[in-house]
Amino acid sequence: MAVAEATNREQRRAGLGWRVAAAFLQRREASIFVVAVALVVFFWAKNSVFVDSDNIKNVSESMAPIALVAVGEVMLLICGEIDLAVGRVFALAPAMVWVLSAPDQHNLPIWVGVILALLVSAGVGLVNGVITTYLRVPSFITTLGMLFFLNGITLNLTDGSQQFMPGGETFQNIFGSQPEHYALWLNSEFFWALVLMAAVQFILTWTRWGLHTVATGGNPVGAAEAGVNIRRVKIGNFVLANVLAGFAGILDSTRVTTIVPLQGGPDLMFLAVAGAVIGGTSLFGGVGTVVGGFIGVGVIIILRTGLNIIGVNAFNFDLIIGLAILASMIANVQVARLRNLGKLQ
Amino acid sequence: MDLDELTDVEPRGVDRAALLRRVAAGGAALSVPALLSAGDAFAAPAAPAGSTGKYPNHPKWKFVFVNHVTTNPFFVPTQYGAADAGTIVNCTFQWTGSQKADVGEMLNAFNAAISAKADGIAVCVVDAKAFEAPIKRALSKGIPVVSYNADGARAGTKARMAYIGQALYESGFAMGERIATLVPKGDVALFIATPGALNIQPRIDGALAAIKQSGKPINAKAVATDADLSKELTAIDSYYLGHKNLKGMFAVDAGDTQGIGQIIQKHSLRGKVIGGGYDLLPGTLKLIDQGFLSFTIDQQPYLQGFVPMLQLFHYKLSGGLLAPSDTNTGLLFVTKANVKPYLTTKTRYEGSASAQKYPVS
Repeated sequence: MAVAEATNREQRRAGLGWRVAAAFLQRREASIFVVAVALVVFFWAKNSVFVDSDNIKNVSESMAPIALVAVGEVMLLICGEIDLAVGRVFALAPAMVWVLSAPDQHNLPIWVGVILALLVSAGVGLVNGVITTYLRVPSFITTLGMLFFLNGITLNLTDGSQQFMPGGETFQNIFGSQPEHYALWLNSEFFWALVLMAAVQFILTWTRWGLHTVATGGNPVGAAEAGVNIRRVKIGNFVLANVLAGFAGILDSTRVTTIVPLQGGPDLMFLAVAGAVIGGTSLFGGVGTVVGGFIGVGVIIILRTGLNIIGVNAFNFDLIIGLAILASMIANVQVARLRNLGKLQ
Repeated sequence: MDLDELTDVEPRGVDRAALLRRVAAGGAALSVPALLSAGDAFAAPAAPAGSTGKYPNHPKWKFVFVNHVTTNPFFVPTQYGAADAGTIVNCTFQWTGSQKADVGEMLNAFNAAISAKADGIAVCVVDAKAFEAPIKRALSKGIPVVSYNADGARAGTKARMAYIGQALYESGFAMGERIATLVPKGDVALFIATPGALNIQPRIDGALAAIKQSGKPINAKAVATDADLSKELTAIDSYYLGHKNLKGMFAVDAGDTQGIGQIIQKHSLRGKVIGGGYDLLPGTLKLIDQGFLSFTIDQQPYLQGFVPMLQLFHYKLSGGLLAPSDTNTGLLFVTKANVKPYLTTKTRYEGSASAQKYPVS
């Protein structure tokens, strides 16, 4: 019997429970996962509707766009860079779709609009990467400039006004959400985020590109000497992060049905970076996990939605979310310290 | 009025004082558990079931206000209005939404209110389409929904049961008529913080329509600025410097209105350029008193919290017989002639004081 076997093994080696716990805690995503589960249990206990399908859908809808941005930001952070302008690409991409595909604008087929908008997003990433790597401007400054520049473009494209997202019912069903079919637990926006998150985690863990990304952030000199093309890795990750941000913006505008020129912005970027960091990605490069960033964003959204459900007033949201970020960061840093000391082996 | 009398009129006076203290100390609570329970405490006293008036005993209903700019000072009196109405009819409210008109965040809060089975929802419909489906969903679950302050697209049918706020297009039209009498001819700039935002865009549409209808040779142009006060000021300043032949500058939002007054003051344009706009920022009121601005329009934000609470309450109490009805919270021109009481009175109705008192001054 499995239990007996486990008991036997327990006698031979250190306690099984302890070893399972240690193996679990060795995973970078572990602490944030525990926090996420604890929060769900807390809000569930406070108000059982928190785990109703309606609310699960609400949480998944809200976290999907931020999580997608976080996925790209994790890759950039791992290779030692940051992009502050992704929140602006989040507004620029749907604005491009509107200009290209809205009936009263250029009226191109919607897929042409989406593809061109994603190409523009990729172009933004390319420019960020080239300025950062070849012109040697720190990415913090490069993307700070881009943050204002892109906002100006979006405001001009949309005349500073909110516009309706083009696209028919099929498009809405594939890329947005289905407010009319609320019986579904989840929604297409969340599935997109889930699939892309898994894909990027796969790239990070199993491919040469992922290995080079970690090497570039962890030890740039060593990586370069070992033959890693650092510039190409960084530019590639800038492109990836911006395409994901642009796609997230298109998904979210499709769900909300409106493009607001100031949507996303620095707030979204900070939420994504906060999610990445509390999920276990280092701000100093070389270390990180895409899944952790995804769960990290989940924690922030669970908090926000949970506070709404149990009836906390908006003035106290930031207070609590700020404390939560600090607390999970402290937990993360301390768990990492224990791990490095070898106490969790 | 002596104390006994007060107590007679207000049997739960102590609770109310406690409420006011709590409201004042709303931001001071520090521990997380306190904050979590403060959600309820913020809005209502810990009173037994029942109402202050001769209402039958009823559950303590909880209404959710979904706002587009939760921390904007404009809505402080709105929250006081909702809290005061809650005291009268023994209901509570939750103040939530987005800090910067993020529609996705507002939808998140709105959907959370549905999930939490709120007894009623009041929402600022700042988007023409995005709120329609969630509002219908709330209604289908028996949750009454009213809009306040902003009411979505101007034309077409809307899902919400009623709108409580200023009739936005009409108020803009009234402003346009006034502009046409103040500035009979010449170039006029109309500033707007966020074009397309449905709480202010209808005003500028109305103003432009009225100016056109007046038939006077006025060349009116809409100019976009920014939602941030200091950026608005810069934008207005540079626009004026580039267009020195302006005869009038007007605005459809609070920040721009104050900004216009400050620019008229800065360049000593009193009498040369006429200024005016909306809302009661303290700076705006002072500038009216000093003659730099000709008028501002008071839309009475207190009522935008007070009336939705009462209407949602009555809907619940009457079992749906008393349906919420559209309520115009007013179109009051504040000019040099009547600005004095605004400046000298510190009151909950304008958000300049947290204590409710009578007489107000």
